[in-house]
Amino acid sequence: MKALRQIIGRALFLLVALSVPAHVALAQEPRYQRSEESYVIPDVTLTNQHRQKVRLVELLQTDKPVLVDFIYGTCTTICPILSAGYSSMQRKLAPAEEKVRLVSISIDPEYDTPEVMTEYLEKYQAKPGWLFLTGSREDINKVMRAFDAYVPNKMAHYPITFLRGPGQERWVRIYGLIGTSDLMKEYQGLLGR
Amino acid sequence: MFAKLWEMTGRAVAAAVAAICLILLVAVPAPAESLKPEGVAGLSHAEALRLGERMYRQGLLPSGEPMLAIAQRDIEVEGTMFSCESCHLRSGLGAIEGKIVTLPTNATELFKPFTSAAEETIPPWEKMPRSMQWHIRRPAYTDETLALALSAGIDPAGREFNWTMPRYQLEDRDMQVLVYYLRHLSAAPSPGVTETTIHFATVIAGDVPQRDRDAMLSVLQAHVQARSTQTRLERERARVGPFFERKMVFAYRQVELSVWELKGPPATWRRQLEEYYRQTPVFALLGGIANGEWAPIHAFCEESRIPCIFPLTDYPQLADAGWYTLYFSRGLAQEGDAAARFLFGRNDVPVNAPVVQVYRDDRDGHLIATAFRDARHRMGQNPPVDVVLSADTAPGADFWRELADKHQGVVFLLWLSPRDLAGLEALATHPGRPAKLFVAAGLLGESLGVVPEKLRDLTCLTYPYRLPGERPRYLEVVKNWLKVKGIPATNLEIQTNAYFIGRFLTNALMMMESDYYRDFFLDGIDMMNDEVYSIAYYPRLSFGPGQRFASKGCYIVSLGKGENPSLEPLSDWVVH
Repeated sequence: MKALRQIIGRALFLLVALSVPAHVALAQEPRYQRSEESYVIPDVTLTNQHRQKVRLVELLQTDKPVLVDFIYGTCTTICPILSAGYSSMQRKLAPAEEKVRLVSISIDPEYDTPEVMTEYLEKYQAKPGWLFLTGSREDINKVMRAFDAYVPNKMAHYPITFLRGPGQERWVRIYGLIGTSDLMKEYQGLLGR
Repeated sequence: MFAKLWEMTGRAVAAAVAAICLILLVAVPAPAESLKPEGVAGLSHAEALRLGERMYRQGLLPSGEPMLAIAQRDIEVEGTMFSCESCHLRSGLGAIEGKIVTLPTNATELFKPFTSAAEETIPPWEKMPRSMQWHIRRPAYTDETLALALSAGIDPAGREFNWTMPRYQLEDRDMQVLVYYLRHLSAAPSPGVTETTIHFATVIAGDVPQRDRDAMLSVLQAHVQARSTQTRLERERARVGPFFERKMVFAYRQVELSVWELKGPPATWRRQLEEYYRQTPVFALLGGIANGEWAPIHAFCEESRIPCIFPLTDYPQLADAGWYTLYFSRGLAQEGDAAARFLFGRNDVPVNAPVVQVYRDDRDGHLIATAFRDARHRMGQNPPVDVVLSADTAPGADFWRELADKHQGVVFLLWLSPRDLAGLEALATHPGRPAKLFVAAGLLGESLGVVPEKLRDLTCLTYPYRLPGERPRYLEVVKNWLKVKGIPATNLEIQTNAYFIGRFLTNALMMMESDYYRDFFLDGIDMMNDEVYSIAYYPRLSFGPGQRFASKGCYIVSLGKGENPSLEPLSDWVVH
């Protein structure tokens, strides 16, 4: 009986002891999911808001930090927050906002023409350095698949942002909506600061 | 709707655990009834609603300045970036996008307790054991607690919102205006719905050929009948079945379709529409067909706030498309626009050379030519040279030679019908033969063979439909359905589009459940997945908030040989 009480007592102690760091860990859990991934960018040519043809591989092969997200012009919830985040980041970096390349790729290429994309970027007070790309559905699907972000329908999409530092091979994949300070921390991380 | 679906899913899981689905029935007076339209903050009722709506939908304060908010803890957001409507949608009934749930913010939902369960069950919830009853998760909002939620993100139960919901920095008076608007947003069901029936109408305007009218009506009425047949026992099931939710019962209302025939000149159509509506208020208009512009019906729907879903018209309202009418496509304008986009930046046409567009001085001619000209202007290109044919001009070989003499080796856009292309072959051997010729499928119809074979190597056809080779398997579905319904296939284009409307309506009604608000009906449609299977004449219909033309593309194709030339796409479906 005494042995049983000892076992129960130790078990209770362990339970209490382990629950404290577990609780702390939960409190410190990041508000988004972060991983590092490698992607092979497909050789597709997309169209930017200025109606210029852009070879995606070349655009992303830059000596600047680069961020990529997937949005569309009439999105209700996710894209507005993602784009407000880009906008906020450009304000934080001003007047050197062009030091980072921000790329938004439309997942509604039927509707997102250069005119629609231009109007969208104006709403978010986009500065030079932020490109919004559209293209054929086939090419857009290739890009989504390459980033492991494919959704068969735009209404099923999810908040996801990709970051890569200059000269780096691997991308930081951020799943979830992210605030400016967290985004800036990730950006600083790309620069090794 | 989607927030509702989410709610339903959660409910289903909880019901499985609890082995029952119960709700709290709380007697809350309908906000619309409990409120006298007195206005707020020194503003009249109408002015408060106008300013509140502007805050909700455009993110602008009564002063005209953007509303300011903080999202995701530290992102400064201006109301002109996105507004309440962006997430909660125009009706306020909320949405689900990805895994982000936006809860309803309309009056009936805000100002009653939130239980995450249905409103009523059969048998009544109070007859069930207490342990199985649902709990209130959030008390009804008051004006004060709603203001706290908007500014601090705390609900009346003390729960903090996800930070996706912005915290708005509003002065007291501005907050009062927004709260006043929410007090009235989707506060009462829209007209056209009774306890048993939801009423629709379809409009037949002007001198529409009997064959076309019958083609549309027979299909729409078959859909309505099918729905009524399938749902005739739902109320009985609800009465005798356990735990049947009243909301779901309401969703199974019968559908009735009235036919509103408009006669005489279009200027009188508005008065006729108002009289029809006075006699039988309808929830929405379905399909419809007109001999002429849809504009009078469009204006009626816009001003009366009545949805009009997919009228079968070649003449949609293009400018100020508004909110309430959803069209299949932009018609001929889509073809003119696509031609301009296709030509932009090409290196196989002379740079800075003029583009000559030839068209009749009639509605069709001006429609497509204007769209081309406008698109060129938007792209910063030189305007085209317009050659307008009057009614008494019959272009023959001499006309085309003279035109080629005057504009040598440039792009010709021949926005003309088949009879006007006679003599065009003269261009084939002319020294000033054009660099490219454009013709429009919307004007040539099936008579593509009218384009001389010797000119087809330089001819581009604008083609705003699913390619002919891909169409049969989709048409077969409709043909079989018509056969089952005993409807003769008389005009497959009209019948396949009407078939789609019927299927589409079924989905839209299912997702709306019993929240019969017209704006919610349209919100739901806006949030629908793209449609590629149930539509034969368009490769894809896509939707999105405020998108009012579901088919957005137009192929540019080349013509093969013969009277019925094969079509080979030279462009993607959408030309950017």
